[in-house]
Amino acid sequence: MTVTPTPPAPAVEAIALRKDFGPIHAVDGIDMALTPGRIYGLLGPNGSGKTTLIRLLAGLASATSGKARVLGVDMPSRPNLARIGYMTQADGIYPELSVWENLSFFAALYGQTDKAEMRRTLQLVELDGRQGTPAQDLSGGMRRRLSMACALAHHPAVIFLDEPTVGVDPALRVQFWNHFHRLAADGATLVVSSHVMDEADRCDELLFIRDGHVLAQGTPAELRKRAGTENLESAFLQFAGESGGPAASGPTAKETAR
Amino acid sequence: MNPLRVAAVFRRIVAQFRRDPRSLALLFVAPLAIIALLGWVLSSAQATTARVAVVDESGGPAGTIVASRLQSALDGQPGIALDRSVADDATARQMLKDKKLDLVVILPADFTVQNRKIELLTLGLNPTGEASVIPAVQAALIGALADSAGAMLPTIERQTVYGSPDATQLDSLAPVVVGFFAYFFVFILTGISFLRERIGGTLERLLATPVTRAEIVLGYSLGFGFFATLQVAIVMAFVLGRLAIPALGPVPAFAIGLGVRTAGNPLIAYLLVLVLGLGAVSLGIFLSTFARTELQILQFIPIVIVPQGLLGGFFWPIDQLPSLLQPIARILPVTYAIDGLRQVMIAGADLSSPQVLLDLGVLVGIAAFFVVLAAGTIRREVA
Repeated sequence: MTVTPTPPAPAVEAIALRKDFGPIHAVDGIDMALTPGRIYGLLGPNGSGKTTLIRLLAGLASATSGKARVLGVDMPSRPNLARIGYMTQADGIYPELSVWENLSFFAALYGQTDKAEMRRTLQLVELDGRQGTPAQDLSGGMRRRLSMACALAHHPAVIFLDEPTVGVDPALRVQFWNHFHRLAADGATLVVSSHVMDEADRCDELLFIRDGHVLAQGTPAELRKRAGTENLESAFLQFAGESGGPAASGPTAKETAR
Repeated sequence: MNPLRVAAVFRRIVAQFRRDPRSLALLFVAPLAIIALLGWVLSSAQATTARVAVVDESGGPAGTIVASRLQSALDGQPGIALDRSVADDATARQMLKDKKLDLVVILPADFTVQNRKIELLTLGLNPTGEASVIPAVQAALIGALADSAGAMLPTIERQTVYGSPDATQLDSLAPVVVGFFAYFFVFILTGISFLRERIGGTLERLLATPVTRAEIVLGYSLGFGFFATLQVAIVMAFVLGRLAIPALGPVPAFAIGLGVRTAGNPLIAYLLVLVLGLGAVSLGIFLSTFARTELQILQFIPIVIVPQGLLGGFFWPIDQLPSLLQPIARILPVTYAIDGLRQVMIAGADLSSPQVLLDLGVLVGIAAFFVVLAAGTIRREVA
């Protein structure tokens, strides 16, 4: 495994990345290069290929053609997974296990055995008072926080979060985003898929995704300016219209989880 | 292979079990309850008295003599109650139907000294059970006829190479039951447990960590192997041991455990069951691929468990199966476990016995085969 040491090397890269499921091109030739220490938002309607793209980048699926690289290593690469955090759309925690048992299980698989570190992670998601509570007795928002803690306990350099704020109340959502910014400030690269527009504005950079293509990439301000629109939703529809598809399939604020 | 990750999977399965009292009960209480019931039924099946009548339809002198000798031979035999009031065939049949008689000995109309054919008539609802009284009747018949012939008849004493001729059905079933329960419960619990991983999104999450498929299967095997070990230890102790509790006040004396004798080393028997159980873990993981819900795991019972119970030598020896079914029986793991367990527990074989080594070897092979299959169903692009 060779890790490119040159400083501005992208943390996450896709080169002509493509994934077909039979006749469906879920990811249809995506090129991108994500700079370390920034938060990237993947925006697009359901079925646009966001989750498939994240699974390719996180090494859970292999590409039909093209390349996915994380921290300079071609994915899928099992050893490289220790440097990646992945929060799935489903909570992906064991309901009968306690908060602490869930966290320490996933941490151990990532090679993190430092209990002090795990406690710090629990403090970050404000579950430190609930260590012994079985996950099934937690509220939906708490389960979401536990799920996030399980993806972060090993201090990954690259973090993929697939719809992390679905089912999370607005106050907690703000906390989540503050936390994401702290992680980015510490040098982590975050890739967050979302469809909520006010969330999109909190990303450093956005990638509009539809039908397995990147329609546009840039900071929220840039994208609004290029589209000549007041808000990101209109900007998305503007870019979607340019690409020739039906504009009605843009993301909406009411989309629910898959 | 990273032992820390295997240990993490193992610890997680143990922790999940600890918090799941129903599965614990299924694993530890259910087999004991079923075996206790089985032991109770088999060891103290009521010694019933068969009600027997002798009917002479012949009317000839030979018939009259034989009938009366037969009656006096049967009268007072243990387990037989002779009814002398029945006069003819039609009455006897009606009394059988009314459950007032269990067996009728008929000397048919053409019975003579030359033609000594005798008929035994039973109801026919439960041919096997009704036949259990026939040996006593036959013995009485031989006695009655021998008297008339004045001959000296030899007596027969039965012996067996292994165990004793007095061995009950329980003695031959007990070793089998131990193995079968381990297989059944381990299969069901692993299948459901791994299905939950697949549908609950935790497997996706596991595969996003550096854990390998082999580490997952091994961790599962250790986790369920641990509980299978406990289960087998408890079940074996129950089957082999017998703790008599003396009467205390109003509570009558009773015994815990079946007190089945084992001729061989229980540790070897345990080893056989453990390898069988490890195969069941991987089979459960493998088959969970083909299920979407927990109910669908249970739907595998008629496919996986029942044929093994019918063909594996539980009730009938493999050699007595129809020739078409014998090859099927010989690919079932339970077949080898049952054979090995009987070799050890009844025949007293140990690890120097080629038969036991063959059984153990086949079980290891089957377990290894399903480990590979199970790892293959945990889909990931990287190994």
